Amino acid sequence: MQVLQALQALQAALAAEDAAIYGYGVAGAHLSGSQQATAQQYWTSHREARDALTDMITARDATPVAALAYYDLPVTVTDTATAATLAATLEDGVTAAYLGMVAVASRRLRQYGALAMQDCAVRAAYWRGSTAAFPGLPLPRSERPVVPVAG
Amino acid sequence: MARRRLLIASATTLPLLLTTTGCRSAGLFAGPDPLGPPPPLAHSTVVLETVIADEVALISLYESAAPGGSGVLAALLAEHRDHLARLRSRLVVPAGSSRRPHVATPRPAAVRPSVSRLRAAEQRSASSLVRRLSTVSVEPALAQLLASIAASDASHDAELGAL
Repeated sequence: MQVLQALQALQAALAAEDAAIYGYGVAGAHLSGSQQATAQQYWTSHREARDALTDMITARDATPVAALAYYDLPVTVTDTATAATLAATLEDGVTAAYLGMVAVASRRLRQYGALAMQDCAVRAAYWRGSTAAFPGLPLPRSERPVVPVAG
Repeated sequence: MARRRLLIASATTLPLLLTTTGCRSAGLFAGPDPLGPPPPLAHSTVVLETVIADEVALISLYESAAPGGSGVLAALLAEHRDHLARLRSRLVVPAGSSRRPHVATPRPAAVRPSVSRLRAAEQRSASSLVRRLSTVSVEPALAQLLASIAASDASHDAELGAL
């Protein structure tokens, strides 16, 4: 059961890394100068994380989930601002995926997930221009944005 | 009626009777020994107490660094206060525990802390949180909260580095 949980957490993190790699490719095309260089650097970090996760899954005699050919991105990128918003959103997604790894009963995986969350939170803060109090955690009910309901 | 009174009396006087006769009630009952010492705090509770104390110290440092309460430092201070509130909301110490939580009130820094000192404190906090959450006896939900706070602290360090 514990092995299964660890594997599920690793696969979820890998899927999130794959989505981030794809998304950074889209965002990077709308960035320039130092922002594009940063996007390139972060893209490389995500690829390295993907490779590390793939190795960890393979070492558990499991098949890593395959990356998709296309991802339905949460932000439509049209300019620099929306590219930065997409990059921040991608980092949030990866942070949340690593949060699952922190809950498994393995000292090593907990530590790995927690350190990966730190990298993601730093990158998200760069793109967003501000930090967050609880990266990866769902917002408490009282702090969730109110979504108007069509009547 | 007399039978009910007898039953109530048994529940209260039996432990006393067992003591005077040299018996341990735990040998007769399946639950915790009512005559034994209060149960120790769970490991997660001990970790939570320590983390709360560290967060209080960090807040005190920020309050000394940004007494005016504006700008980046004030924003980071606000997030630390959010951390503290969320941590405290999780702290439930069962009645009869062997000790009560103790959170020391740190003294304000005599000299206004520099940004580099704040960065060092954020780095220490993030490392310490990861070390604590890695212990498997820390319950998963608490481990996730500590990981999230550690990630926030790491981003604070980066934010301070850009000042």
